[in-house]
Amino acid sequence: MMTSYRNHLSIMGLWLLAILSIKPSLGAGLEQTGECFESRDGMSQVDVHESAAGVVNVKCSPETGGVLWWGDPFEGTVPMGDMEVEADYWHEEAVVKPREPQIDRNKMLTICSMACHNGVYVPIPYNKDARPLKMHLDIIPDAMNLKHGKGGVWCLDCHHLVDRTKLIDNFGYSVSFNQPQKLCGKCHGQVYRAWRDGIHGKRIGMWDQGGKKRWWVCTECHNPHDVEQGDRNSGFAQLAPEPAPNLPKGMTNADHERMHHGPDKGDSTH
Amino acid sequence: MMRFTQFVVDFLRAGFTGGILFWCWMLFLAFFIMLWGYGEYVQIANGMIVTNLNDQVSWGFYLANFVFMVGVAAAAVTVVFPAYVYKHKELHRIVILGEMLAIAAVVMCLLFVIAHMGRPDRLWHILPVIGIFNWPHAMLTWDVIVLSGYLLLNIIGGFYYLYKKYAGGEVNKAFYLPIVYIAIVWALSIHTVTAFLINTMPARPMWFHSMMPIKFITTAFAAGPSLIIIVFLLVRRFTPMKIADEAFDLLSQIVVWCLGIALFLTMSEIVTELYPATEHSLGLQYLMFGHNGLNSLVPYFWIALTLMVVSFVLLLIPRLRKNLTLLPFICAAAFVGIWIEKGMGLMLPGVIPTPIGEFAEYTPSHIELMVVGGVWAIGFFLLTILLKGAVAVLLGEVSYQPQTDKRPVSSEQGEAAI
Amino acid sequence: MPNQDKSKEKESRPTTRRDFLRGAGNYTVASLSGAAMLLADPKPAKANITWAEHFQKNYRLMTEEEKQEAIERLETRYSEEYGKKVTVDGTPSIEGVLFGYALNIQKCIGCRRCVKACVAENNQSRGDEQQIEWIRVLRMEKGNFSAEDRDQHGYPESFGVQVGGNAYKPAGVVLEGQHYYEPEQVPEKDAFYFPMQCMQCEKPPCVKVCPVRTTYRDPDGIVVIDYNWCIGCRMCIGACPYWARRFNWGEPNLPKEEMNPVTHYLGNRPRMKGVVEKCTYCVQRTRKGRWTACVEVCPVGARKFGNLLDPNSEIRKVLAKKKVFRLRADLNTYPKFFYFMD
Repeated sequence: MMTSYRNHLSIMGLWLLAILSIKPSLGAGLEQTGECFESRDGMSQVDVHESAAGVVNVKCSPETGGVLWWGDPFEGTVPMGDMEVEADYWHEEAVVKPREPQIDRNKMLTICSMACHNGVYVPIPYNKDARPLKMHLDIIPDAMNLKHGKGGVWCLDCHHLVDRTKLIDNFGYSVSFNQPQKLCGKCHGQVYRAWRDGIHGKRIGMWDQGGKKRWWVCTECHNPHDVEQGDRNSGFAQLAPEPAPNLPKGMTNADHERMHHGPDKGDSTH
Repeated sequence: MMRFTQFVVDFLRAGFTGGILFWCWMLFLAFFIMLWGYGEYVQIANGMIVTNLNDQVSWGFYLANFVFMVGVAAAAVTVVFPAYVYKHKELHRIVILGEMLAIAAVVMCLLFVIAHMGRPDRLWHILPVIGIFNWPHAMLTWDVIVLSGYLLLNIIGGFYYLYKKYAGGEVNKAFYLPIVYIAIVWALSIHTVTAFLINTMPARPMWFHSMMPIKFITTAFAAGPSLIIIVFLLVRRFTPMKIADEAFDLLSQIVVWCLGIALFLTMSEIVTELYPATEHSLGLQYLMFGHNGLNSLVPYFWIALTLMVVSFVLLLIPRLRKNLTLLPFICAAAFVGIWIEKGMGLMLPGVIPTPIGEFAEYTPSHIELMVVGGVWAIGFFLLTILLKGAVAVLLGEVSYQPQTDKRPVSSEQGEAAI
Repeated sequence: MPNQDKSKEKESRPTTRRDFLRGAGNYTVASLSGAAMLLADPKPAKANITWAEHFQKNYRLMTEEEKQEAIERLETRYSEEYGKKVTVDGTPSIEGVLFGYALNIQKCIGCRRCVKACVAENNQSRGDEQQIEWIRVLRMEKGNFSAEDRDQHGYPESFGVQVGGNAYKPAGVVLEGQHYYEPEQVPEKDAFYFPMQCMQCEKPPCVKVCPVRTTYRDPDGIVVIDYNWCIGCRMCIGACPYWARRFNWGEPNLPKEEMNPVTHYLGNRPRMKGVVEKCTYCVQRTRKGRWTACVEVCPVGARKFGNLLDPNSEIRKVLAKKKVFRLRADLNTYPKFFYFMD
């Protein structure tokens, strides 16, 4: 993954990189039980293992690799932290799955200047004018093609100027990757309020008021670099569906339900 | 008490006595009854998965036949009603035969219901006191009441009369007539309630109309007497029992008018449903024209309609109606037509499409065919025994003899024909 | 388990809210500790169990002792059959709770994860022989309007009312729902999706027609079935306007390793052949405070569930803030399953 940087690496950087990049592959090798994804394939992976005697933390779809069943809804979560809201659920035990370790899995972001930029601090950008970032396509594949706000939003509108493990809001305050709603909610206020009410987005765990809940944060479902998803103009990326039910006994196909009404009998939708 | 035991023995003996034709017929039926036993065994052992029923089409061949047979059972009233209310002499003489037919038909109904049940071993759950009888809420409990009541009324009424005839006493009119009149009304109730059983479900728009009970009764009073005519002609042919032509004349008139009304109601239903052609008419559309290539019911509907229309037109002509050679064939056509139209032709489009619009085609499995065929065989078996016994008693061939005479005179004579 | 310690003196009363909250903390651990109590007694012969099971009363009418006996019988039998400790829960309705469900059809992407999650949780029969799924997702195609169709072609059908003079070809939604859609990816641009399951009606037609009252509505609004009392007449399947009920045509196929051992008597315990089953809002979970399996697995968060009597619950907020509708409201079944849009 880091091959294109080899000529820039100091010996120190190379050594560090070697150690750090081994870690995830080692982990993957040890996991015999597999891995599946929650809402965003590639960005919300979860390992399958026993969370208690005889109980797996999740069950995965053999067909699509999606999470199909939660044995332990709170595994790997941390308290969501203060919500700075006046809502009536302040007493609830809210947890989130921390995104920070995911974002900075290889600890590369904290050592950018050291490892990748030859010991020199990355210069702080002078303005937020959008410009291509060809050099980072490997770690941010959609960097050249950001689809957020119809081109009105660029990297540094959301990412911290200096501290790449943080997001930033419009006042310049840094925001944790674990709580992107504090950033997203600045523009998407209506959705944010709905999310706080629990009628937008997703929670799992205990339904009762006061019960422990894991909250899904914005970026666990939406890809902020491509919220539009092409001409579908939808916030959620497509994924493979689970298989259709078995046909009723005696039926060999479902062609009849793919026909249009009207005079053009027989024309099919597919 | 001795006398009654003697009655039962003699009745059965008369029922089971006959010539080679009789035994061939019984053997023929026994074969199908064995198939029924096998089918029921397989179904109870493996579950209803041996049928072709499924979650989309969960009511099928069994209930279709059930609904039809309830009608046949109720149709005994077409003999009883003229006999007692209009004092029709000829029918009065054979009224017992109608009741015997009702008994056989109700027994068939019960067997169809058992075949339809997923857990016949839990039948006791529906019994009041030891189980839970969800009455008056569940329409099915009403059906249980009217059907078992009807069976009882016919057994008591029919066999009381036969027993009196056998023992040589006078019929106690204060006891017998109320039973007869109650049974007349009750006969209407069994088919009305069976109609309510399925037309009180808005989830099934094809059934959800108030015309259902009257349509049930008219089709029943067309199909039932059709069968009765055929049976009576056979009785007249194979036993010394005299059945006058006037009886057939009246019965065939009942058939033709009820058939006419039934066809009129069918036409009304088709116009009402297909003129606006809402989603609710999809079942009827599927029955009549198929749906996107699913056409398995279409030929049955048109065959049934043709049979009914043709037999109606033929019966309208007095010369044909009074022709007792031709009549049984016309009656058979009407009977089969109604059996298709009111059986599978009513049951399947009621459940297809499902309430959420799924179409699935259904044809009965081998096991279903075996069970249904077997139940029909049981019905005919019972009917044969009951009719032969009843005829023997009515003709006085079998009657009570003092204890000393061990052998009843009757049983072997006069039965040679069948 | 919230009410286990109190089972002797007050099980006939619904669990109170405070008991419930106290116990609701950890569903998984609670269930496991319940499982550990299993198999303490030497197991009676299997024949005895089935015999006793065969002659037990309807669950609704059992005394607390009889319920406990029935549950223990089942736990023993299931544990033996599935080779693991199986718990059968009998938790009654929670006081002050009326369950409601809301589904955002604008969000639903038709991925059918809810369908499969439900199967994993609720021990339905699976495989080619007999597959039972309690949730059915319909694909509704968005219509296409074109000028050519406007006044050419014939009538929509060969019969039917001629609407508005020239409306020859049906415009707008041109398909019935599709049940067996299988695109590579969902959601498709030209379709939306419509999941259906048991609506837990306030006036359930299925309950009304049941001749033996084996299916009934509990105070928390869940329509449940005592599988041991069902006679398999399928009147309820005929009466349900939502096609929510399924029948075990044959002996259900439930592989041991896939069997979910945390069960409820009225919920996901293994069924037998010849009985009806349906969605119970995951009664084994929800009466312990846990969300249903379908809510938890929906990748887009289209499914909302909670207590209709709690004004602060998510479900009440959906009802207050969104435009909601119920399916086939004309039938006066008063479903507690709402559909809404953003």
